[in-house]
Amino acid sequence: MEYRLSYSDTDTDLLRTMGPPGRSYWLALAGLFILVLAGAGAWWAQIQTGVGLAGKNSPVGWAVYITTFVFWVGIAHSGTLISAILFLVRVRWRAAVYRSAEAVTVFGLMTAGLFPFIHLGRVWVSHWILPVPNFSGLWPNFRSPLAWDVLAITTYLTVSSTFFFVGMLPDLAVVRDRVRGWRKRVYGFLAQGWQGTDTQWKHYTAAYVFLAALATPLVISVHSIVSWDFAMSIIPGWHSTIFAPYFVAGAIHSGLAMVVLLLIPLRKAFRIEQYITMHHLESLAKFIIFTALVVGFAYVVELFIAWYSGEQFEQAVFLYRMTGDYAWAFWLLLTTNVVMPMLLWSRSIRTSIPWLVAICVSVEIGMWLERFVIIVTSLAHDFLPSAWGLYKPTVIDSTIVIGSFAWFFFLFLIFVKVLPAVSMWEVKEQLEAPVKGGSR
Amino acid sequence: MKRPGGSYLFAVYAHVDELVGAIGALRESGAKEFQVFSPVPHHAIEEALGKRRSPVRVFTLAGGLIGMAVGWGITIGPLWNYGLHVGGKPLVSIPPFGVVAYICTILFGAVATLIGMVINTRLPQLTLAMGYDERVSSDHFGIQVRCDASQSDRVSRLLKSRGAVEIRKIES
Repeated sequence: MEYRLSYSDTDTDLLRTMGPPGRSYWLALAGLFILVLAGAGAWWAQIQTGVGLAGKNSPVGWAVYITTFVFWVGIAHSGTLISAILFLVRVRWRAAVYRSAEAVTVFGLMTAGLFPFIHLGRVWVSHWILPVPNFSGLWPNFRSPLAWDVLAITTYLTVSSTFFFVGMLPDLAVVRDRVRGWRKRVYGFLAQGWQGTDTQWKHYTAAYVFLAALATPLVISVHSIVSWDFAMSIIPGWHSTIFAPYFVAGAIHSGLAMVVLLLIPLRKAFRIEQYITMHHLESLAKFIIFTALVVGFAYVVELFIAWYSGEQFEQAVFLYRMTGDYAWAFWLLLTTNVVMPMLLWSRSIRTSIPWLVAICVSVEIGMWLERFVIIVTSLAHDFLPSAWGLYKPTVIDSTIVIGSFAWFFFLFLIFVKVLPAVSMWEVKEQLEAPVKGGSR
Repeated sequence: MKRPGGSYLFAVYAHVDELVGAIGALRESGAKEFQVFSPVPHHAIEEALGKRRSPVRVFTLAGGLIGMAVGWGITIGPLWNYGLHVGGKPLVSIPPFGVVAYICTILFGAVATLIGMVINTRLPQLTLAMGYDERVSSDHFGIQVRCDASQSDRVSRLLKSRGAVEIRKIES
């Protein structure tokens, strides 16, 4: 796609996102803040009284907290896919959308990172699990996928935050050079003295390529490792070699849908439709068709292997998923994750904003339910009928989950007002450089 | 960092082709102490400057290798002092420890890349270049030249002849 804009148009238009917020912005921020406070209050109540306030209990010891943890880690994945992988393969439409996608990664991980702590029984002694041998007498068991998971998620947050901030440096310098007063000092500090010299660009672009190259394998590895939290155990419905690619595809599926859901109001509210065009949304929608097909294929293979294995416990769990207590969730996730995105094959649907929003919301619901079904049904219905049991949500755990969604959107709303939400320098790279006598 | 003394000229250009012409003219005149400012990286500018590749890649490689060694080290190392056989599994288990080494390779590689970038770009900089023009981060280009006071008029004329829209002269 070709933009018909100049360098200065780009700065003026894209910095509009950082202008004084309107009333609707403050109302949205206040609404989200109230929900965040509600979630925090529910967590506080759980800390005061005990984890019994959450619905998880034996045998379903992992329930909505771990479901939501996996969901948010998954949401994070599309950011790296768009910012790093599409950068390495030189996809031009990436430039306008990657900053928001990378923000989704960072904020998704910041939300996911809360859940292991929320899930802990006694969070106030969580420092006991730090690997400080003389202090706690513990050293991590590196054969455990839970230890890999901690390393993978912290590495992912570190690398994606680095990529996010490094990618923003030249844009922060643009803001510093345009604003006055205290804001100039703040953005001057954030820009760290960036001036766009030839030496700076040379080392910067080299570092950017290497950071993208290092972030790329994380897209594959992080959710593979999250999937091994389940697959390395012997619980029926979890112990499967398909889990890693299945989880990675699902992660990207939900992440792409979240990026579309955030870009649509962003381009509308700040009138930047000529930068984030229908072409961008359509490209993302085509990606969602692809990930929906991969996820759908994984569901079918999983069912096939359960039947073909001849393993009675595996077969029983899958039969339970389709016909048991949570069958509504199983059929709903199939519909929302696989059937609904197939509507995007129609060009008129994938270029229609209301349809795109409806389908992306449906994917988000489906991907949350997918993790819920995997986690809860396998624990509720494993080997011995005497050990079977059900999970029922409570007000406390539901409020915390809702609060986590509010927290994510709250962070994103602050981001679009205080930092450049669209990468100005990378959009300018797509434009013809100004030459004497008009464009080349 | 203390700046070297002398005259500083900061020329602002509206067009990249004029900037590239000015870089060529400066190099032909034997000027060495100049730096170019642009809002985006541009191949024509890199070619005109003819600089060598960035050493950041060495930092990345070194960081990755150190990370890999750390990954294997934290998993295998403690076994020398406290080997504990569990469930008949080998003490040194390559597949699970490889996961840790893989993650540490990426983590240390990324941090080393950041360090390499910070060192080579000389960030953070507390003050901006002498004569820095705020337009160069947006839609203009710039060249800052350091020269002896006796040569500043000649250099200024050269920069002007190549299409500079503004030239600032700062004595330090």
